[in-house]
Amino acid sequence: MLDKIIYNTVLCQTFSPCGKYLIAGNIYGQIAVFDLDCILHPVIELLTPDYNRPKHLHLLGNGAQICSLASTENFLIVGTVNEISGWDWKSIVHSKLSKPAWVIKITSQSSFEQTDVNSLWYAEEENKIYAACGDNKVYVYHLEDGKLVNTFDGHKDYIHSIHGRAQQVISAGEDGLVMLWDTRTGKSHNKLEPHTNAKVARPDIGKWIGSASLGDDWIVCGGGPRLSLWHLRSLDAVTVFDIPDHGIHVSFFHDDCVVAGGAAKYLYQLSYSGEVKVELPVSATTVYSAILRTSPNNLLAIAGSSPEIDICTSFNYRDQVLHFR
Amino acid sequence: MGKEDTSTKKRRKLNTSLTSDSNKQVPVDVYKRVVEFEESEAQSRSAEKDAALFKKICQDVRQLFAEIAELKAKGTDEAKEKIHAKRIEASLLLVALKKLNRLEKVRTRAGREALHKEKQRVDSTHLLLQNLLYEADHLNKEVTKCLQFKSKDEEIELVPLEDFYKEAPKEISRPEITKNDEHQLQLARLEWELRQRRELAGACNELVASKERVAAAIAAARSRLDALAPHLRDVLKATKPLQECLALRLDEKRDEARAASLLPPPLFLLYANASAYSDVLGVSHLTVGISGDEDEARRWEQLNTNSMGSELVVSNDSDSDQDNNDEDQREKKKRHHRTVKISKEEKAEAKKKQVLQRHPLNVQVSVKVDDGTALNLIFFYLLNLKIVVVKFSMSLPKPITGVSAADVLNGDCILNELYTGDTGNDSPHPATTYLLNAAGITENFHHFIPEIGKPYVWAQRMCGLDFMAVVLDEHKVYKTFQPCQSLSVASVENFIFTLKKRLKARVELMKELQDLECGKILPVKDLPIRLSGSLTQWQSVGWPEYSQSPSTTFLISEGLASADNMLYRAIVTRQSAKLVALVALSSDYPKKSPLFSLTLHWNGTHHAGINDDIRDIERLLNTNWDEENSGTHTLSAKMTKLLTCIDILLETTGSIEFPPDKVMFRPVRGRNRIKPYKFIKQGAGLFVQY
Repeated sequence: MLDKIIYNTVLCQTFSPCGKYLIAGNIYGQIAVFDLDCILHPVIELLTPDYNRPKHLHLLGNGAQICSLASTENFLIVGTVNEISGWDWKSIVHSKLSKPAWVIKITSQSSFEQTDVNSLWYAEEENKIYAACGDNKVYVYHLEDGKLVNTFDGHKDYIHSIHGRAQQVISAGEDGLVMLWDTRTGKSHNKLEPHTNAKVARPDIGKWIGSASLGDDWIVCGGGPRLSLWHLRSLDAVTVFDIPDHGIHVSFFHDDCVVAGGAAKYLYQLSYSGEVKVELPVSATTVYSAILRTSPNNLLAIAGSSPEIDICTSFNYRDQVLHFR
Repeated sequence: MGKEDTSTKKRRKLNTSLTSDSNKQVPVDVYKRVVEFEESEAQSRSAEKDAALFKKICQDVRQLFAEIAELKAKGTDEAKEKIHAKRIEASLLLVALKKLNRLEKVRTRAGREALHKEKQRVDSTHLLLQNLLYEADHLNKEVTKCLQFKSKDEEIELVPLEDFYKEAPKEISRPEITKNDEHQLQLARLEWELRQRRELAGACNELVASKERVAAAIAAARSRLDALAPHLRDVLKATKPLQECLALRLDEKRDEARAASLLPPPLFLLYANASAYSDVLGVSHLTVGISGDEDEARRWEQLNTNSMGSELVVSNDSDSDQDNNDEDQREKKKRHHRTVKISKEEKAEAKKKQVLQRHPLNVQVSVKVDDGTALNLIFFYLLNLKIVVVKFSMSLPKPITGVSAADVLNGDCILNELYTGDTGNDSPHPATTYLLNAAGITENFHHFIPEIGKPYVWAQRMCGLDFMAVVLDEHKVYKTFQPCQSLSVASVENFIFTLKKRLKARVELMKELQDLECGKILPVKDLPIRLSGSLTQWQSVGWPEYSQSPSTTFLISEGLASADNMLYRAIVTRQSAKLVALVALSSDYPKKSPLFSLTLHWNGTHHAGINDDIRDIERLLNTNWDEENSGTHTLSAKMTKLLTCIDILLETTGSIEFPPDKVMFRPVRGRNRIKPYKFIKQGAGLFVQY
């Protein structure tokens, strides 16, 4: 029997607020802590053969898959199955993992049903965490006391992703819906159904939407349907991106560009008009997580169904490959 | 006054000369006398005085010339007369001058002669001195030679002085004389030495004689023992009927033991240990035997003991004639008669034969499993390369149907990597390459393996040969190392059990493969589900085909599948969907589970490199993720799992071609949209993701 880590799939990643660590979680319930200082500025004399391997590898709780990660100033927030847990950064970067700082249980209707916390979005000003869950709902928790503040109920299947911007939150679900929510009222005020749009739909892949993101005036979303750019107010599909993918799992705005990835050989950076600006080759069969930061340095980490995590410091080509094994 | 003197003398001289002229008629005589006279005169007169006189006369002449000149200036007659007189006077003075000159000349000559005489005397004296010096030198040399002379007696090691006085009798040592006289002492010591040596020589001769006597006694005893042997043989012959009566296999065993004694040490170790195991396990599991030409072995042994110690050197051609068997020798002799030259090819062939020569005896071990399948191993010992090679054959109770199934029970395949990394494709002995090169053979050892057998490492270890120890002093190629007893004991036991396990596993696998080739998959208990897909093809494939498939790239790059594996292709179909599964079975199966690489042809081509669903199925089949299924890794169980997974994958696509008939809690789950491949026994059975 081979070690299952050979078939590792990384579902989520996040950077620590200090910028020194990259955290990644996989379907086996493991969290890998990579020391970015050591990877990006290696001291040749101290270089060990496993410098591009995790500094620490923690197995969380019962081994349920790590579905999502988010980071706040004080905590690493981990979304697994049926619970969201917060961990002190100190304990995460320590070689031995202690107890979580706090745990929020998500009660499911039946004992059978397990609720994956598929996506987490942290609203910094409000100090609230939005959790897109497998039971078709988005839960909003206040991090001050861990109380459930709000529940967004509207999707008919589980939710893939959640993202927010300026009192608006956007969620994308397996049911093919992209819903816009008002954070103040907790009501959905708009929704998109990309699979009903003939230009966007791809029935052979499915109607599910893997990812949706909010920009100032734009929405980008994709999944079974093609990656497409929608105008926020008119809700018209402005650009349908023509890229050879078999499903989009990651899409977001960065610097007048759309970054998107999924079941494809590349991670794409596209202009709003649909031109491909950068094609980044990726190790993963399917990209499930691509996170980008511009401070303290430019860094793009791409992970997915592979034990390898690709690191780009220029956003233009693959610099290094980390091994999550 | 002086002037007068000289003038008188002159006069006298003149007179004498005149008289002599007148007296003696013989002018020669006169001249001689004049010369003699002048010589004596020159002797008698002092040279200084003559010089003063000469100067005085010169002064007078000058005076006269001055007066004449004065007178001439007057020019008177009187003056003329005076001039005349003065002229005469001057002339006389000139004559005197001449005389003085002659005297001087005579004196000079006499001086010169005296000097010459003196010089000659000095020369002769010098010569005499040289001769004397030379003689002295020569004498000195002679003296040092004499001083350096060494007598013969100084070389003889004498008894120390104290011992000499202590041991030697008084008449020899004579201390009263020798204490004072060094020479006498030396003579006395020499005499003592001589006497002692004579005594010792006598003792030596006596001992030699006694030794010969003992040797003769031994020879006599030995001949008596030899005479015993025929009697013993007769006794043995007499017991034969009794043995037959009692069904004892004493004779056979004795024969085998005799043959065993002829085995080379490594094979003997193997034989001894293996036969011990065969006694313990019973003949039905393990049989051991010796075969080969015993006479040849005996001849070889004799040859080897004759040339004890001097190992057969590979490159030595003259030896090879002796070593080759009789036929060869006869052939060669014929050839020698015809043409002395042996062609190069034949020479090379003979060389190769010589290097690869194996011991005439070999050990046969056959390992059997319960159903009658047996693997026969023949162990040969290569005399010059000093390694053990193995040939093998299978014996099967019934013929195998199915192509891929038969391959599994092929000896080569069974023995492949019995221990990790031991493929038997190269010599384990580090010196082999060197030996081959030394014999002028350019091919690798690898080249000869099909001909002579495989040098597995376990075979060396079973024979107690451990080459790791030899690597340390590789430069000593001909170093003889003793086979290690304990290594052999441990290895034989280990090998027999490992091989039996492998054989059993292979027989099982063979049955499984036979079923698979017929498209039959053994149903796994407690999995009450209907499988809609069917296995339509199962056949073995080669490495090129396996490695070219894009689905296997990942396993090959990770080093998990290699050309050493047994490779198969299974095709599963369900309606329009066709799944090609490439299966790599390690030699260690079922210890190592089979590895699947899948390619699905439906709605395009999908494999793990581009499709996560296929990757998820491979993860389930190939890894330890699915704990509940970890007990059984058999091929059939895996195939059943594969068919289940494919059904689920196709049914979750929502295509009307594949109506879902399995109970799933959720068709997809999570951001990775994983399908419910896991079966849990709840109610009628339920498929879930995690």
